[in-house]
Amino acid sequence: MTGKKLLLKALKERGVKYLFGYIGGAIMPVFDEMEKLGSFKFIMSRHEQGAAFMSQGLSRASLSTADPQVGVCMSTSGPGAMNLVTGIADAHMDSIPVIAITGQVATGVIATDAFQESDVVGVMMPICKQTYMPLHADEIEKTIHEGFYVATTGRGGPVVIDVPKDVQNEQVSDSYTFDQATFRPHLPGYFYSPTPEREPVQRAIELINKSERPVMFCGHGVINSNAGELLRQFAEKVNIPVAFTLHGISAMPADHPLSLGMMGMHGTVEANRAIMDADLLISFGMRFDDRVTGKLNEYAQNADVIHVEIDPSEIDKNVRTSVAINADVYRTLHVLLGDPMVGYKPRRRWLQKIEGFRRVMEEDLKTEIETGVGDDNKLLMKSIIAQLSDLTKGRDLIVSDVGQHQMMAARFYNYQTTNSWYASGGAGTMGCSLPMAIGVKLARPDERVWSISGDGGFQMNAQELGTIMEHNIDVKIIILNNGYLGMVRQWQTFFFDGCYAGTPMRSPDFKFLAQAYGIPHRKVEKLQDIAPALQEAIDHPGAMVLEFICDPAEVILPMVPSGGGFEDMIVSHPRKHNDNLGQEGEAA
Amino acid sequence: MKRRAILAFTLDHPGVLNKVSMLIRKKMYNVDTLTVCRSRIPGVSRMTITLQEDDQAKVLQIIKQLEKFTEVISVKELDTNHSYWREVAIVKLEVDAGHLDDFHGRYNFEVLEQKSEDMHIIQVAGSTRNIDAFLDEVGQEHVVEIARTGVTALEK
Ligand SMILES: Cc1ncc(C[n+]2csc(CCOP(=O)(O)OP(=O)(O)O)c2C)c(N)n1
Ligand SMILES: [Mg+2]
Repeated sequence: MTGKKLLLKALKERGVKYLFGYIGGAIMPVFDEMEKLGSFKFIMSRHEQGAAFMSQGLSRASLSTADPQVGVCMSTSGPGAMNLVTGIADAHMDSIPVIAITGQVATGVIATDAFQESDVVGVMMPICKQTYMPLHADEIEKTIHEGFYVATTGRGGPVVIDVPKDVQNEQVSDSYTFDQATFRPHLPGYFYSPTPEREPVQRAIELINKSERPVMFCGHGVINSNAGELLRQFAEKVNIPVAFTLHGISAMPADHPLSLGMMGMHGTVEANRAIMDADLLISFGMRFDDRVTGKLNEYAQNADVIHVEIDPSEIDKNVRTSVAINADVYRTLHVLLGDPMVGYKPRRRWLQKIEGFRRVMEEDLKTEIETGVGDDNKLLMKSIIAQLSDLTKGRDLIVSDVGQHQMMAARFYNYQTTNSWYASGGAGTMGCSLPMAIGVKLARPDERVWSISGDGGFQMNAQELGTIMEHNIDVKIIILNNGYLGMVRQWQTFFFDGCYAGTPMRSPDFKFLAQAYGIPHRKVEKLQDIAPALQEAIDHPGAMVLEFICDPAEVILPMVPSGGGFEDMIVSHPRKHNDNLGQEGEAA
Repeated sequence: MKRRAILAFTLDHPGVLNKVSMLIRKKMYNVDTLTVCRSRIPGVSRMTITLQEDDQAKVLQIIKQLEKFTEVISVKELDTNHSYWREVAIVKLEVDAGHLDDFHGRYNFEVLEQKSEDMHIIQVAGSTRNIDAFLDEVGQEHVVEIARTGVTALEK
């Protein structure tokens, strides 16, 4: 048995069906063996970053299915591995289990600046959950199995396995044995505690029962532990409104009466105002990042905080907790739901107050969505998303890129099914959408998948149209083309006196680009053409590119300026208001 | 700034020191001292890191994030009231033997070698402050070369 054979055997045993990647010298033995085996479906990306995001998409979308899979991407050494970096760092920030297998130069020449040698372990170490470099064929199986274990347990994350070329070809020793069934990784320093302890749960229940103005937070941990349905039941049981982090979206229906929508920088008025006034925050699987909290010393001043989180290092990191429950969100909700002491309260005054917050922007937004166009009769993104939502009844899978369109897709699509929203959150990596959508579609082939990008982000991984073409992957591609790096332009409007440095952009004719890959394209410029175009894409059996010409002046509101508190929330466009907009923002 | 000693037990694997020091750099500390040695358990190293931080919450953050590494088995802070912090210095001193006699009994030192009439290599062990005081008293101007181990610490 050789290293490469054992590597593929271990992947097979871990249920891997798809391998995303790109070949090169240092990974050739594994590719050769893979081709001969014929038991994997190989998806060649057009850039290794694409492969990393495809594997993310597969992991993210399949976790709530009967067949959860871990995305695996492969690349060669040096430039191949370095092209994976952004996608791996992104998976790390968003706690997505992914396995990256990189070829490395042969052990005999490591650290000699050999051709296409990069210190992959050194580069990846701070941006992934664990790195390995097996130095003998005997270590390969153990390493792969341990890698999957680390990637998928506790708080998930990417694992990088750098395999020197000679180790891929090496024969195992005569005495080699490995039994997958009995293998337990030896990790005396790796702990995670999924089961909540009684004592903090009891204290949490006391706080919940005592509170008058509680708000519940739904973070990525709810999606990752498949606890959306339990969260809904619990929210209803205690009658507490729920605010969502960007990655908590779609855990429960967006239009649930207790839903406050998204919180944070571009969160809804009702979510952010409720948080300001709350006396208790009950947060499930989230990490209070700066996009969520704004200025920390002004954040939720009068609230006790219950923090349910699988990663102990997140507890007390940004926000002081009153009760910490270091456990899996699903198990904790299960315990809470079963506890007879947790009671329903009408909370009439609190919920009424929140109804008032809901009304602050409701009219404005409704009018904007209905008008559907901006100054030059160019389309408004929020209107397009709202129409997409209506047409698909909020039941499709949405994979967004990064920018204004992302915030629009987060806010104005009426998510009905759990785990149906995907985006790059922690890293905010432009270009993630198109490749990630490919992985999502492979994980959930029976559902409709929309990739939504801006004109900027689309061009960061547009080469993956080639992958879509080659494998006939049916993703509906929406480009919201506003001719600008819109999100940064919005910051320039608000904080840099409208000096649009480095944000206007000329794009290619996306029609020819799509056609070059044999993908039909429709350009939509009129309000009344939005729905028919969306319908055409729905009816078309296969990928289609819909390009919408959007108003560059559209902004996503409200907005809490970076470094500001919720008090500084901007709720109307500066053109309409001469508010002093406060301090300069840092880069978007 | 308050000086902190963090004690970590880690697997004796390549790259672990790299991870630990990278985290401390990422959190923007400058390591004061760092000592690594074997522990009683085969395959497990003992690391003592000292750095400056006043805020207890921040020290707890470092500890939790260190504990997150799969190779790190346990981490805790050792404070000076409940632990011994000691280091060793080897010093090449240009002094007469008579000058050194004054310090016997008061400092824990040993002459390793007398190289010439006025050139001694000595070894002194004690707390950081104790060694500093010794050197001040002997006279820093007499120090030709000095090697200090950095702090290692043990709970009382
Ligand atoms: C790789 C990368 N580079 C830069 C940024 C900074 N950035 C955030 S949003 C944005 C603009 C995105 O423009 P576009 O894709 O056209 O979307 P829009 O905001 O116009 O909807 C930029 C440049 C980023 N998030 N990612
Ligand atoms: Mg744009």
